[in-house]
Amino acid sequence: MTALTQPFSELFRYRELIALLVGRDLKVRYKRSVLGMAWTLLNPILQTAVYTLVFSKIMKIGVPGFPVFLLAGLLPWTLLSVSCTASAHSLLNNQGLIRKVAAPQAVYPLSVVGSKLVDLVFSLAPLAVLAMVMGRVPNWSWTFLLPAVLLAGAFTVGLSLVFSSLMVFFRDIRHLIDILFQVWFYLTPIIYPPEYLAQLKNPWIRGVLGFNPAAPIIRCFQIPIYERCFPDAATVGLAALFAAASLAGGFWLFLSVQDRHIHYF
Amino acid sequence: MPGNITFSHVDMCFRMRREKVTTLKEAVLNRFRRRNRAADELWALRGITFDVRAGESVGLIGHNGSGKSTLLKIAAGVLKPTHGVVTVRGRVSPMIELGAGFDAELTGRDNIFLNGVLMGHSRREMARKFDRIVEFSELGEFIDMPVKNYSSGMYARLGFAIAADVDPEILIIDEVLAVGDERFQAKCMARIRTIREGGCTIFYVSHGMASVTDLCDRVLVLHHGQLVFDGNPGRAVELYRELQGMAAPGIAHPA
Repeated sequence: MTALTQPFSELFRYRELIALLVGRDLKVRYKRSVLGMAWTLLNPILQTAVYTLVFSKIMKIGVPGFPVFLLAGLLPWTLLSVSCTASAHSLLNNQGLIRKVAAPQAVYPLSVVGSKLVDLVFSLAPLAVLAMVMGRVPNWSWTFLLPAVLLAGAFTVGLSLVFSSLMVFFRDIRHLIDILFQVWFYLTPIIYPPEYLAQLKNPWIRGVLGFNPAAPIIRCFQIPIYERCFPDAATVGLAALFAAASLAGGFWLFLSVQDRHIHYF
Repeated sequence: MPGNITFSHVDMCFRMRREKVTTLKEAVLNRFRRRNRAADELWALRGITFDVRAGESVGLIGHNGSGKSTLLKIAAGVLKPTHGVVTVRGRVSPMIELGAGFDAELTGRDNIFLNGVLMGHSRREMARKFDRIVEFSELGEFIDMPVKNYSSGMYARLGFAIAADVDPEILIIDEVLAVGDERFQAKCMARIRTIREGGCTIFYVSHGMASVTDLCDRVLVLHHGQLVFDGNPGRAVELYRELQGMAAPGIAHPA
């Protein structure tokens, strides 16, 4: 039992290091530029503007209040995709430290996810304003965003650990990660409502697309923000299941191969 | 006070890939190629067994490439041995490379905290030690300047001041006193002696035989990855010189 919990008590001992690395990353991004936080918000704002133009105006997808629906899914998606791509480089970028300092290696991908989580929480404020302007005033269902953020965070941590480790062994995996997240983005109901997938004629495609671990986690944001109610038990259960599986699998893989990383730098 | 290190039958193997496989493409292609794997292995350490008891000062000497740094990195927990068991009991402060955890963009002040938490100490602890660290490093107002603007001496001084001030139970020192001027070196040596007198275990690597015999109760000699001697410092230095092909027993203890 101690052998199992030891890596986690070790990580807990280094929690201040994670906090400091997160703080350093945020400080660099928010303090040292005149526009500060705007840079972080600019990306989802521009994406929302473009997707709204394309899907709502040009292709007329027919979702009322499309920007609110889109942003509700885009923000957790950004957490996932940006964390995984940035984490993939985190061990390589910190190899100087890993070769010399005996801190647990998981702190590097974890601090990447931590800083992206802060971004997500910050971006919820402008989303609330947008929702209000578009007549979807935030109500009590927004309280569900707290567990939603935790679920998304756990899911992201697991995958980030996997990618950060894989990247050490196989440097060309970065191209695969880019492609994976591009494809995954379009297969996840973010720019279109999930009902569209349910209407697919081919049962095979419908079945495969229905098994998307990111979908229930994204739904945990879309339902409280866009539909303004608590998500159903099935969605929450699936999201929790995938988050737990990702977290457990990610830690298991990372902890079992981390001692070999140093030989591949 | 804890502070013991035990190595038991430790081997360390590095795979020296002639063509290092670090892409998925090569990993897949290599499945179809025949390779001679044994030829790529470098055994940096073979069958290392020794004990350092709490409060002991142990020196480690050996030629370049004998495995000293590998052994220290295993003791510091940076490397995991290929075979064997290593037990380290106590708070380790590694001086393997001074300022190893420094971020060049951050100020000296921020780096004190970064370095502290990298070694697993809390920020509050570091805040308590802050003034003492700054005083010892003699950096004065430069403490609020990014460390990328520091001279190598200033860099090393700050690194030493931090590593020496975190209440270590085991201090691992790897040839770090080569930097800094003579006065600061003397100050560091004095500091190490004070730490030693406080009951801290010292694990000291140096090519400076005078400082080894001076500081250590016991010296280990490494030769091509094997532990060939463990005992009296004077005898260890003699053996080290013999193995180097410069046997001259008369000058085993240079002043």
